[in-house]
Amino acid sequence: MTTVLLLLLLAVGAYLVAVVEDWTVSGRFRLAAPVLAGIALLGRESIVPRKPDRIFFEVAPFLLLVSAILGAAVVPLTPDLIITDMATGALFINAALVYVLVALLMAGWGPDGAYAMIGGWRFLGQLIAYAMLIVMPITAVVMRAESLLTTQVVVSQAGVWNIIYQPLGFILFFIAAMALAFLPPFDLTTSKGELAGGVEAEYTGVRLAVFRLGRLALIITLAAATVIFYLGGWQGPLLPPWAWSTIKILAVTTIMLLAGRYMPRIREADLLAWCWMLGIPLALLNILLVGVLVLVFP
Amino acid sequence: MSMLEQYGLLLGLIIGTAGFVLSLYALARTLGKVRQEPGKDVPATAGQLSRDPVWVRYHAHFYGYALLFLAFDMEMAYMYPWAVVYKQVGLVALLDMGIFLAILFLGLLYGWSQGALRRQ
Amino acid sequence: MIAGARQGRPSALRRLVAAAMARDLGTFIIPGPDIARTHGLDIEATGLHRVTSPRHASVLLVIGAIPPSLRESAAVVYAQMARPRVLFVLGTDKLFPLPAADVMADLSQQELIKGVRQLRSAFAEGAFYPEVSDFDAPVLQVRIEYTCPMHPEIVRDEPGSCPICGMNLVLREAQAKAGHLHIDHQEMGASMDMETASTHAHGSHHSIDHGAPVEYTCPMHPEVVQDEPGSCPKCGMDLVPRDAPAESSHEHHHMAHDEPVEYTCPMHPEVVQHEPGSCPKCGMDLEPRETQNKQSHKHSGMDHNGMDSDMDHSSMDHGDMAFMSMIDVTKDLPRSGDGLPMEWIEAPFGPFFPGLPSGLLLTLTLDGDTVAGSNARSLIENGELLQSSSMDTGSFVERLTSFDPLAPVAYRYLACRVLENVAGMDVSANTANARIGALERERIASHLGWLALFAQQTGFDWLMRRTTSLQLKFQHADLEQIVALKPAILTLTKRLQRTPLLKSRMAGIGLLARDATLRGPVARATGIGDDARSTDKVYTTLGFKTVSRKTGDALARLHVRLDEIIHSLALIEAAGAIELPVPTIIGEVSGTGEAVVETPRGVARLRLTLEMGKVTTAQLDTPSTHHLALINPLIEQQELGDALLAVGSLDLSPWEVRQ
Repeated sequence: MTTVLLLLLLAVGAYLVAVVEDWTVSGRFRLAAPVLAGIALLGRESIVPRKPDRIFFEVAPFLLLVSAILGAAVVPLTPDLIITDMATGALFINAALVYVLVALLMAGWGPDGAYAMIGGWRFLGQLIAYAMLIVMPITAVVMRAESLLTTQVVVSQAGVWNIIYQPLGFILFFIAAMALAFLPPFDLTTSKGELAGGVEAEYTGVRLAVFRLGRLALIITLAAATVIFYLGGWQGPLLPPWAWSTIKILAVTTIMLLAGRYMPRIREADLLAWCWMLGIPLALLNILLVGVLVLVFP
Repeated sequence: MSMLEQYGLLLGLIIGTAGFVLSLYALARTLGKVRQEPGKDVPATAGQLSRDPVWVRYHAHFYGYALLFLAFDMEMAYMYPWAVVYKQVGLVALLDMGIFLAILFLGLLYGWSQGALRRQ
Repeated sequence: MIAGARQGRPSALRRLVAAAMARDLGTFIIPGPDIARTHGLDIEATGLHRVTSPRHASVLLVIGAIPPSLRESAAVVYAQMARPRVLFVLGTDKLFPLPAADVMADLSQQELIKGVRQLRSAFAEGAFYPEVSDFDAPVLQVRIEYTCPMHPEIVRDEPGSCPICGMNLVLREAQAKAGHLHIDHQEMGASMDMETASTHAHGSHHSIDHGAPVEYTCPMHPEVVQDEPGSCPKCGMDLVPRDAPAESSHEHHHMAHDEPVEYTCPMHPEVVQHEPGSCPKCGMDLEPRETQNKQSHKHSGMDHNGMDSDMDHSSMDHGDMAFMSMIDVTKDLPRSGDGLPMEWIEAPFGPFFPGLPSGLLLTLTLDGDTVAGSNARSLIENGELLQSSSMDTGSFVERLTSFDPLAPVAYRYLACRVLENVAGMDVSANTANARIGALERERIASHLGWLALFAQQTGFDWLMRRTTSLQLKFQHADLEQIVALKPAILTLTKRLQRTPLLKSRMAGIGLLARDATLRGPVARATGIGDDARSTDKVYTTLGFKTVSRKTGDALARLHVRLDEIIHSLALIEAAGAIELPVPTIIGEVSGTGEAVVETPRGVARLRLTLEMGKVTTAQLDTPSTHHLALINPLIEQQELGDALLAVGSLDLSPWEVRQ
């Protein structure tokens, strides 16, 4: 029952992300726009390019959606509202989100088209940049929580949220989460200006609808993960826990969607260089600092 | 729930998503089939038809980073269980892992000095 | 009823879906949003929303008259759109090979809005229709032919066997257009169709020897030898001429030369190349050596049904092969800068590529995501300036105004000036000032349009919206409106300077050295202080100063254009009036004359001969013609994003490129 409820909430969340994204692009709040867009996409032809890698082409949008849903399965909205409270939750979310790479590589290779292929391979470069910066801050968070249970991670922030306890980790995780969700300025893989849509461009009709749904689910899963790991989850005064979760997740989503509009796209070489030369030393420093803090303030 | 039940639930989620996606496809199919026309199935390249296949050996320029990534990924596999018992074990844990991380960090510095951390 | 409807009876579900589709109109703009803005059209405000890929579009919006080659590309785009699709045409009726327009309107914003309403109802009613017909055009045709892999001159229309060697003929899909063979082998992996031999960066540069019999060979398959030019049957590349040793002209039916010489590095024997050079690992000169077993090149294209992704070298005729190391297998592959043998693809970027000026066809040979070679040309042939051997001055001025839709005022000014120079007349100071006001206003609009294109290319959404709206406001603004818009421009420039990631994105990209062929902001960004306005006394009285920067990269060009916008604002205020240039009545004069104008892209020069008041000859020199030639060396070995940024920073106008 909680599963069904949470899946519904995930769907509502994805819907709200679509509305927020539409707002950041057009400046207007159109609540009906995602429904109309979805139905319109259903009605369009879903073209399959000539001589594709059929399995890759078909599986990619589905895999994107599945990896986002699996990631969302370990995210608690309130202490009882979680699909699977896995003992290895914080590790599992990373494992599930790795399949985003597989999905995008498949989407790049499948259609046998130049723009899609370059987009797919560029995402691999992006993964090599951000992957460590997702995992190392999570490790630091887990050090404080002494457990991989996501609910325990939230409970461990009862006194001080992790954004204050480990701000360095928060910044790195936030940036890496934006890179994982291929949001601007990290949208090397679906860039409209450089690749005319990249991996997304060869999908039309219902397959594009599933791809976009997967992307929305991914954004909200990552925002939820940020809230769980760094912003204290459902904790907060006055309002009930589910309200706080919702507010925080939507706030993080809005910031993620807005940030990229005000910057040009990052260069892949720069992303890799900064993540490895600056980001990883900072992440290691973060682990060291948290290690000391955890021992000093038990 | 036990672990097995949880994984079972996740498998059920995957299958359920597959069912959802397939039913969407079926719904779209009732609205009509794709009409095969000349030129329609060639990947769209901004106005010029390019029928050449592009399944070639792709020259990725970030292989220096990828090699170091392998090393760090292995390290992260060790760090997860370490992080869980860290507070319990105390200072010794910090020192043990600190040495491990320091060695890896030296590896990173070495790679940096040898020019691995750049676009090849 | 729309021509691009989906087949089906309009049931209730379909009607609901069609109604939803009518509210969600993705639009692909032909020739491009830059042209839309110069016509003063605000596409987003009408409810259409621009998409960058034909696959995501349901409306194809054609704006204004389109030259024939662009119409063919538009037909390709139309064919690649998913049904139901609508053709919405503004201001033209010459559409072949596109089908007839579903909705037509004139070229103005009100007409556009009316047209969008019509479009919505057309969609809601006509998205599904019981009978539809396919869209076909000559440019989409594929000619299926059968050819022998070893004897490319044998081409048949049905399968069979080669009369020379008896092999089964294999299928080949070729573009039906003459001169363009895009070969798509079922059994081949990387098929490379090169339009010019110059894009084989790895290939040897064979000079044509007119003494000895000239043979044509494939740079990647040296055993393919022919007496006349064509395409390699294995990979589709154009054959390049090569010096023919006397005996191989007789043996060109057989595989494998007797002893092709290879070049290898004494210290790194795994480095093997077919032409002399230096070792990519240590830099030593390669020395010749005889080859080993050349069976790797034989029979490599035959009967491979299940092969997909590898080059034909790696799935060989496994019968009597000796062991082949990776070095042998990858011997013929092009080598990249770091010495790795990788395969290259050729991809067209244009003419309707979202980040590049519309009408520019940039064909890139990509090594991974690095540009290994490029070929840039404008698909817009604007033909002769003079429509008849003697043209009257009024129609000549109109011809020149419509010559480049991205800078009409500058060319109109140029035409008026040259006529006045021939006649020896001059305009009053007020008229001259008003003309300069118009010219500078267009410069601001053009630079804002370039900023919008730059923002589109780099995914900088806020800048794109801001500059689009500012450009639309500036196009036809009068003096008070311009003065009112000045603070907006200043805040834009300030915010742009403080944008994070801008410097890292642009610094050092597209570096150009000082060169006499550079013009306009591109030249001024390298430190050359050339500006046609500096020699014009009207400008100097208004207080003109040349702006320039030193670095010569894309960031410097951005700054030069921003500085020019601010300076143009000051010039407009000093001029005090804005009026489009009106040609003065010059009567029946004869003579020759010349005039220059600083268009937003650089200096344009027009030389004219008049006889009895009619124009008999005219020569026009435009900046984009010269800048087009800069592209090839500029983007060599650059990453794709950097290459596109560099090309965009040149601010080309494919409309004014003179062939």
